[in-house]
Amino acid sequence: MTRLDPLFRHLLLSVVIVACFALLPLVLTQRYFLGEVIVFFLWAMVALNWNLLMGHAGVFSLAQMLFFATGAYAVAMSTSYMDLSIWAAIPLGALVAALAAFFIGLACLRLTGAYVALLTFAIVGMVHVLIITETECFAIVRNSCQQLFGGAPGFSQFTDFGFRPMLRGNWILGNYYAALTAFALCLVVVVVVIHGRLGLAFRAIRDNVGYASSRGINRRKYQIAAFCISALMTGLAGAIYAAHFRAAGPSLFDFSTLLFVLSMVVVGGVGSTWGPLVGAGTMMLIIEFSKSMGDARNLILGVSLVIFVVALPKGLAGLWARLRGSRRRPLSEPEPQS
Amino acid sequence: MDVFIQILITGATLGAMYALASVGLSLIFGTLGMFNMAHGLFMTLGAYAAYSAASALHLPLVLGFVVAMAAGGLIGVLTHLLIVRFMLGTPDFGMNIMVATAGLAIILQDLILKTYGGYPYPQPVRVDGFTQLGGVTITFQALVNVAVALALILGTAWLLMKTRFGRAIRATAMNREAAMLMGVKADTVFLQVMALAGMLAGVAGLMISTQATLSPQMGADPLLKAFVICVVAGLGNVWGAGVCAFGLALIESAIGYYFGMRFGFPTMLMLVIVILILRPQGLFGREKVVRL
Repeated sequence: MTRLDPLFRHLLLSVVIVACFALLPLVLTQRYFLGEVIVFFLWAMVALNWNLLMGHAGVFSLAQMLFFATGAYAVAMSTSYMDLSIWAAIPLGALVAALAAFFIGLACLRLTGAYVALLTFAIVGMVHVLIITETECFAIVRNSCQQLFGGAPGFSQFTDFGFRPMLRGNWILGNYYAALTAFALCLVVVVVVIHGRLGLAFRAIRDNVGYASSRGINRRKYQIAAFCISALMTGLAGAIYAAHFRAAGPSLFDFSTLLFVLSMVVVGGVGSTWGPLVGAGTMMLIIEFSKSMGDARNLILGVSLVIFVVALPKGLAGLWARLRGSRRRPLSEPEPQS
Repeated sequence: MDVFIQILITGATLGAMYALASVGLSLIFGTLGMFNMAHGLFMTLGAYAAYSAASALHLPLVLGFVVAMAAGGLIGVLTHLLIVRFMLGTPDFGMNIMVATAGLAIILQDLILKTYGGYPYPQPVRVDGFTQLGGVTITFQALVNVAVALALILGTAWLLMKTRFGRAIRATAMNREAAMLMGVKADTVFLQVMALAGMLAGVAGLMISTQATLSPQMGADPLLKAFVICVVAGLGNVWGAGVCAFGLALIESAIGYYFGMRFGFPTMLMLVIVILILRPQGLFGREKVVRL
């Protein structure tokens, strides 16, 4: 077999994945399932970007859901207050998230390791508290008081993609392909970053800061770049979320939501390329099946996090690599010396 | 003057709770190098244990504290035996243990929610009554909390500084390998530290619940603050954590008084970010020389 360039190989794989999802509605027509696949796109986007940041750039940030929420809130607020078109609001949401990441990164990335995790976690907690304790009315919406940032109930019932009048009963297809487009964009960005020069620099810093900086790689510059890129794509996912569900609220900040996405990354495999995608699918299926057993979601999340971290710290991707032998090593392991 | 006393008292009451929580957190980080995301749930568990014991057996106050302490210590020991023990020394321990303890936190929270329900209860283990100082009302509960916290912190300090057991802990925290070569059983030390930190957390939980109510999420907010306090003090610096807890609690109560309660924590956090930008190793942390 001729060895393809890894970047090209992974791009080819992402094209195949996107093509499969593009054809899926031909087979799967129930609205419920298509809705679930849309949700899968969104979580997979967050998980892929979190893995980019955590697994490749080595920044253990707990602010991922904050950027998701920033994207969602930006869409909700700009469409509710400024009557912005949804198609302008979505890129705006992604940009606002990246901007927020830039400033949070400036403050947090002076630190390293566990400090970053703690500080980002505290910032998310602060934003959450500020949002839910807000009481002053900013506007009157449908005869009820609407706080500037939505307060505890959040925003709802703002404009969506606008496919309902256009496609009527098939409006979900419009949403599906809109989300798929964002998902495809995100896949391309993540693959290009991971397998390009940027990813190389990220992993050099992660593996040995001293060596990397002595070769002229500026840690802060590259880690802030990683922070912003991953926030941009996560914000995009958040914006699509808001447009699809026509809602954005403080539940996005819930600890269990954060752990749900974290479990996707951990189960899939931190530091891999496709692990988070597999992890997102696996966790969503497990949670979906557990619904029949009553409310066991959080229990399952916690147990799977603990089990995977203790027994399989490299996740399903690590298991896959081990099963295939050492022929093709995952990126996180050093190449054997020839 | 009244305002000043009021702020001082609120600050001291908050500080006592934060100090108990953050001293344990800092102790664990210093010795095991792990950040315990489940620390908030250790507190919650302590509070609920005291509640259960009190409503079933009508325990007096002192025994309530003992029950909370025992519950916290027990969960600390179990965490070590069931999770931490297997992960020590593995690559990426620092990150993975945070994920694992976060998982543990959500398991415990879910179990508490399923056992007790989400409805907030008042804590029955409490003292009633108040006294007046100037124009300021001081509840006996606040006085008891501050006294107990101070006693426990001084006790912990005594343990760490004056006993053989404490010397082993400090040695392990300074240099694990060297301590093991000198015959310190690191595994035992880790277990003891988890138990001690769990006990402190359990009592902290009981105190927090006497000031507010019992609910499965009650540990989240103190945990955030304990994190911030530990980071400001410099991770693993137990003394600094105690001092910063009182300092930050005073600032929080002052801001809360003048600008409204909801800005107390955000202002505190802004201050922390500024401190960290100026001194990334924390106020009391010593700058580490990194060898490559």
